[in-house]
Amino acid sequence: MKTPHIDLKELEEQKKQNFLDRLKFIDQYVQWMKKQENKTWSTQQKKITDKK
Amino acid sequence: MEFEFTKDGIIFEKVFNDLDDFVFGFMEILDSGNIGYVIVSGYVSILFGRSRSSEDVDMIIQDLGLEGFKKLWDKLLETYECHNTEDPIEAYNEYLKTGHAIRFSLKNNFIPNMEVKHPKTSLDEWVLENRKKTVVNGKTVYISPLELQIPYKLFLGSGKDIEDARHLHTLFKDKLEKDILEDFTKKLGVGEASRKYLK
Repeated sequence: MKTPHIDLKELEEQKKQNFLDRLKFIDQYVQWMKKQENKTWSTQQKKITDKK
Repeated sequence: MEFEFTKDGIIFEKVFNDLDDFVFGFMEILDSGNIGYVIVSGYVSILFGRSRSSEDVDMIIQDLGLEGFKKLWDKLLETYECHNTEDPIEAYNEYLKTGHAIRFSLKNNFIPNMEVKHPKTSLDEWVLENRKKTVVNGKTVYISPLELQIPYKLFLGSGKDIEDARHLHTLFKDKLEKDILEDFTKKLGVGEASRKYLK
């Protein structure tokens, strides 16, 4: 099977960008949390953390 | 979002997830024995809403001496099992006293673990002495001060750790004691990471 050429520099750049996007997502999530009642955010958190 | 900040710590309500139930169940046993402990791991950010789970929760407990530890061991083993050894003397002498952690889980469960260790460094001693009381749904847990937790997460430096730091900092930046935060940021050598990752 022929495999593609891999540009490691390009992948590193993509990894870095994905991480910065994750951090932006965390900011958005926290801003959302701040506007919610505790019951709302913690119920949604429970759905993620308790996933088996 | 409603967090109440008092002189002693933080009070709030939340819907407990399975990891919260595990942690608060363990802490009830420590509190009933009036044992000094502090939670220092990523669980601190999960407690405050971070959308991830964890297979282990790190805590530091005061050195109770062998006899005190054996009493705690007997109480813990009514509900939990230790994954390192079945012998409390070995757990105390070969693990805790030599700076290694012992891991407990609910009986017949391998995860999540409570990873228990004695204070080993000056930072461990400090965090145990300066732990912050957090009361959730009327139940108490003692956690690392956020002014240490945030730069320490940057010091650990994995993607997950940096995300934990960002979460706590974004959530509580107006409540943090800036001079303590800056002091730990400097002492842990994470000034550059702080400028890069914390807004």
